[in-house]
Amino acid sequence: MAEHFDLAIVGGGPAGQAAAIALQGLDLSIAVIDEQAQPGGQILRQPPAQFAVRLWLPGRAYDRLKAQTEHFGRLDRVSWLGRHTVIEIARDGAHFALLTENALGVRAITADRVLIAAGCQDLAVPLAGWTLPGVYTAGAIQAFVKSQQYVPGERIVLAGTHPLQLLIAAQIVAAGGTVAEVLFAQPISAMFRAVLTKPLVGLRGSGNMLAAAAALRILRRAGVPVSFGSALQRIEGESRVTHVILASGRRIACDTVGLNYGFVPQSLLPRMMGAKVRPAGAAGGFAAVHDEWMRSSLPGLYVAGETTGVAGAPASQAEGELAGVGIGLDAGWIDMAEAGRQTRRARSRHRHLQAFARLLDTVANPLPWFPVPEDDTIICRCEDVDYATLAAQSGGGSANAVKLITRCGMGPCQGRNCEPSLLRMLDDRGLTSDPGFTQRFPARPIPVSELADPG
Amino acid sequence: MSKTDVLIIGGGLIGCATALHLARAGASVRLVEAGDINAGASGQNAGSLHFQMERRFLENGAALADQAARIIALNRLAIDEWRGLEVDLGVDLHVSQKGGLMVAETPEQVALLEAKSRREISGGLATQLLDGDAARALCPALGPDVLAASYLADEGHADPRALTPAFAHAAAEAGAVISTRQHVLSITRRSPGGFDVAAKKGDEMETLQADQIFVAAGAWTPAVCALANLHIPLFPVALLMNATERTGPILPQLIQHVGRRLSMKQAYAGNVIIGGGWPSRLAQRPDGGFDLNARASIIPLSRSGNLRAAIDIVPQIGALNLIRSWTGVTTISADQLPIAGAVSRVPGFYVAAGGSAFTLGPTFARLIARVMGGERVEALDVLSPDRFNHLNSFMG
Amino acid sequence: MRIEQDVTRGAAIEISVDGIALAAFDGETIATAMLSQGMAMFRRDARGRPRGLFCNMGTCGECMVTLTAENRRVRACVTDAQNGMDIATDG
Repeated sequence: MAEHFDLAIVGGGPAGQAAAIALQGLDLSIAVIDEQAQPGGQILRQPPAQFAVRLWLPGRAYDRLKAQTEHFGRLDRVSWLGRHTVIEIARDGAHFALLTENALGVRAITADRVLIAAGCQDLAVPLAGWTLPGVYTAGAIQAFVKSQQYVPGERIVLAGTHPLQLLIAAQIVAAGGTVAEVLFAQPISAMFRAVLTKPLVGLRGSGNMLAAAAALRILRRAGVPVSFGSALQRIEGESRVTHVILASGRRIACDTVGLNYGFVPQSLLPRMMGAKVRPAGAAGGFAAVHDEWMRSSLPGLYVAGETTGVAGAPASQAEGELAGVGIGLDAGWIDMAEAGRQTRRARSRHRHLQAFARLLDTVANPLPWFPVPEDDTIICRCEDVDYATLAAQSGGGSANAVKLITRCGMGPCQGRNCEPSLLRMLDDRGLTSDPGFTQRFPARPIPVSELADPG
Repeated sequence: MSKTDVLIIGGGLIGCATALHLARAGASVRLVEAGDINAGASGQNAGSLHFQMERRFLENGAALADQAARIIALNRLAIDEWRGLEVDLGVDLHVSQKGGLMVAETPEQVALLEAKSRREISGGLATQLLDGDAARALCPALGPDVLAASYLADEGHADPRALTPAFAHAAAEAGAVISTRQHVLSITRRSPGGFDVAAKKGDEMETLQADQIFVAAGAWTPAVCALANLHIPLFPVALLMNATERTGPILPQLIQHVGRRLSMKQAYAGNVIIGGGWPSRLAQRPDGGFDLNARASIIPLSRSGNLRAAIDIVPQIGALNLIRSWTGVTTISADQLPIAGAVSRVPGFYVAAGGSAFTLGPTFARLIARVMGGERVEALDVLSPDRFNHLNSFMG
Repeated sequence: MRIEQDVTRGAAIEISVDGIALAAFDGETIATAMLSQGMAMFRRDARGRPRGLFCNMGTCGECMVTLTAENRRVRACVTDAQNGMDIATDG
């Protein structure tokens, strides 16, 4: 028999935690399911329970999230299912049936309501050499540093368009690692221009600006060059990265590269379920659509945090709070007047944070600055489909049609890496409304034996 | 306004292949497809080339089995068709005809295999009965529970993703005009003969005039034929399929089961494809009836049953990761046999749909093209839509 | 490079990857254990080129390894190393 919960929350990051906290005291059984062992999400990717880290992740922005995570940890009746991967959520009569998986096996859960707060992932950006060992998403490197207390490389180059790479570089330096250089593809003037168009919005996001300035100071003290208008062209090496080459022809020796061109929502689960999504923005991907109480287009299914669009941890907290209260409202646990009162501040915070997020999107906009893949650059990492193969599919129709012809997106990751790249290629041909690949079961690979009837 | 000898509705395998044969025979051909080429069952099936009698024909009594045995002649034609396809189309279709094993796990199933084999041999299909050890000698991945198997050397598998686009490409080269994302809205009979068809692409309306119409629209076939005021008794069925991650070569043959729903093969890229007729749940329209344009949903018991059958027959499958489950929507007719040929109530109107159309599709297309050219083709008699003529007594 | 300052790790453990013994710490993922010994290649692609871990958050599928005792293929970045684990890569 499957364990039953009043509510299942997928994702124990800022949004999922905030939703659970908003429902505290209502005596509900809540399962919070997360692929990571500890709560916190990617932003607060905690060290393993077996580690003790003094002065872990200093900074005011992190302090608020840590406080929330501590609060979350004290909640009654919340079952923390860490290291559980959700592979399916399906409607099963009056409730939802969830399947989770980990190295110990499959676990079946049912819930009356489900909140998907699955966060975001780094946008995968193909360029020559990006499949070499030693090339990571910038988020991958940051997660190693934050959680595993490990710096994956002796000489790291960070490259892309997103200001977050300044913070990541500073964290690497603070951890004792070596950053060879931080490369922004766009000129600094483009970034300033974007901020100057919305000075008030920029001011409201001053916390982020100050963090970036502090990071810059740390990097300067450590002698880490930060270059603007420096586009990465190729990554080279034999068995792993040995250097990168810039569009200018400049060569930088390194053994590790972190790519940081932006983030896309993790919306695979809502898409699998048929919930409505929208194109998420310049970096690509799809964001789950919701109403003012974070209800998705499917009854009983709620979405919050960066699954609905990438806007940073504080915005995710606000959305989680709205979702929690919205769930309470729909279930009759909270009345409308109380719901309105409880969420007034979160709503106003959310509005300002969204405005800042849009400004950041403009500052970090990768669209004009993507590296140009070469003919044999792999776009689909799972199935080894290269750029020339996809470029030859002119008139190939939808992303699904191209997938069928080329195998692009048919591998274990289901297109999470290649879909934005392929859609950009289709976009160039005017196919802006393409819904992307049909997302299929299972959300993550799972051994056949785990799903087979026990016989 | 477009005027052609033939209008084909449906850009799947049969439609595209028929377009090729008709264009090569000198006809002017227009093909319209509501979605993308190969987007339906033609591209979503599991790619089996199966010529042994199917389990579904054996489990519903002798009368049905007798009738199904009549399709064996078509299977023999299809075997030859597949052997020549890659050369004819000049495309690598990943055709592998390294044999197929239909396995049995119980004495009752072995008896079923024997009866099946007798029918096949009398129909001219050279199946061989093997005991479990002989089957394992051919395919060492088979588990210890396999008691016997019938083997047919011509069976195998091919790449459903490659075949229909290859036919479409060749048809276009031969002069057929193919348009996608164009919806047929109405079909009107003209006097004394021929048809006016209204079609819409984006916001653009087009009238397509043709002397002959051929509907090969898979599960949508009854709806398209309804535009011509005809009943075509085909029912949609949603079938589950599963793909594992890639692995080294473990399964050279097509594996089927005589007593359980199972078909299994290792595609050229190394993924093992597992299916065999387990149902998914068709989407429903709010006002009743099935919604063929919405995604079918997986039935958990189908998935667990299908994968259990796979592991029972090839145990090492259990350790591979499943990376994708999907549903293809095909159709089945009242007597389980496909429908292919002229609808004699409406001169100039032809139809082909009803399942088994990956294995048999290229052959259907070749034969239908001959029928449309005015030939009488006896091999298709068993599939004639006219066996359901009574349903159209008051239609047309 | 394991960060040493201000960090106390779990108990010392040992795992084996492709027959090579690796020292690791309780709480580390298989990925961390491998990378910290310089094992950056997790597989070879269809053209024989070396491939490494990419996302470190379970989404990209690049770091699949086989736990040989269970004959189970898992993502090294979301699977914790356990003392005595025997692991095979596709490299």
